[in-house]
Amino acid sequence: MPSNEHTGRVTVITGGNSGIGGAIADRLQSEGAKVSVLDLKPRTKDGPSSVSLQAPPIISHQVDVSRESDVDKIFDAIARREGGIDYLVCCAAVFSARPFLELSQEDWQKTLEINLTGCFLCCRAALRHMRARGFGRIVLFSSMLARTGGINCAHYSASKGGILGLARSFALEVAHENIRVNTISPGVTDTPQPRAFLSQEELQARAAGNPLGRIGNVEDMVQACLFLLADESSYFTGQDIRVNGGANLW
Amino acid sequence: MVSGDGATVTIITGAGSGIGRAAALRLARRGDRLALCDLDEKGLRETARQIEGFSGSAEIAVVDVRNRPGVENWCAEVIQKYGKIDYVFCNAGVNARGQAAEMRLADWTLLLDTHLTGTFHVCQTVLRDMVERKAGAIVISSSDFAIVGMRYGANYAAAKTGLYSLTKALALEFAPRGIRVNAIGPGPIDTPLLRGGRSPAEWEEFRREYESRLPMKRLGKPEEVAAVVDFLLSDRAAYITGQLLHPNGGQVMW
Repeated sequence: MPSNEHTGRVTVITGGNSGIGGAIADRLQSEGAKVSVLDLKPRTKDGPSSVSLQAPPIISHQVDVSRESDVDKIFDAIARREGGIDYLVCCAAVFSARPFLELSQEDWQKTLEINLTGCFLCCRAALRHMRARGFGRIVLFSSMLARTGGINCAHYSASKGGILGLARSFALEVAHENIRVNTISPGVTDTPQPRAFLSQEELQARAAGNPLGRIGNVEDMVQACLFLLADESSYFTGQDIRVNGGANLW
Repeated sequence: MVSGDGATVTIITGAGSGIGRAAALRLARRGDRLALCDLDEKGLRETARQIEGFSGSAEIAVVDVRNRPGVENWCAEVIQKYGKIDYVFCNAGVNARGQAAEMRLADWTLLLDTHLTGTFHVCQTVLRDMVERKAGAIVISSSDFAIVGMRYGANYAAAKTGLYSLTKALALEFAPRGIRVNAIGPGPIDTPLLRGGRSPAEWEEFRREYESRLPMKRLGKPEEVAAVVDFLLSDRAAYITGQLLHPNGGQVMW
């Protein structure tokens, strides 16, 4: 893979201040991309060793991706500042474990708004700028739970399943404009998010039950994401890459 | 994960044309030591000639993957020469279209034997070596048609769907031993197999009509599939196993 393919690419990453999104932001920045992050929280990482001092720094914007006018404004501002938008990576998501009868409409609504409507709003805002230049690469993070479902996560599974439908329809609509839209469905990944509701013992049990014998790590997801952004995947659109160690095969 | 010393050793079946040749060229460029087979000796020699053009390394052998002793001898020679096999791309295939009601048993058997049983022979042979070293990865050429079915391709679709099932079974069985097995489901790729038997005029007509129906409005190139094989046969895909990846221009999404 050419190491300079991402140099200068104007990139927007939602949820890019921690977890998988944070690692993707760091990697793209180290490869010379111009990275803007949309996140509700400030950057949590001290910065990885790979961050290049020569490359432009990551610019973090505090934005709620479910607020239409805020999303439109920030994409317009980034495009104006950088001359367009090349890459969009949507990682922003919330998760709260809720037994079905305790799932309030508020929990349901908030999860759908951030996880799914946030993707829609960012895709739409990015497309306005990508279409103008006839180039765009979009990666949306779904989840293994979109297919398998899971106990206490009807709202989360519904939001992630919705992302697959959104991505495919959007991909078909823009396929002939050199804009590609693909998704990644991670299994349990070693980030703060699953640690918030799974104990260390539960995480170890997940690892032991996985065919490849471990849970995923952020590097696995970074590699899949870079593959889908790069020209290596030039004939991919509307596809979902399931990075789960064999835990789910369809 | 690749084990042992020296360069990565990769074997490819069906390397005499199309996707197999493109994968051979790409993996040779990244520095793999290659052993290539095909039934078509002329095509195989052309692949090797192109690889030598940029000082790559490839051993070639005429092997019919339907012939178990032939496959075993070929793999044994590769291991004798290079000491191991790290990666395998099972790509050998043929096509014979026809209505199911009129299909000759020979055309059914040809596709099942070549795609499915041939891949089984190669996988079983190399996995015996891979489990010793607890390392390795395999990519199997399946098809979009494994998912959506194929009119006038009962034999082809059955073989390709069988390959996807074989992929998943092997992935589950060998994941605990550190070996990954994935499949690719290419869409319409401009290869001799797709052109199969059409005159240049017929091909142009077919291509134009087909492309108008594709989301990306173009056929894929063998190199675009080779790039996916490159990804899956590398540590970049260390946590991906049992999956079917589709370089298909958006023709099928599921």
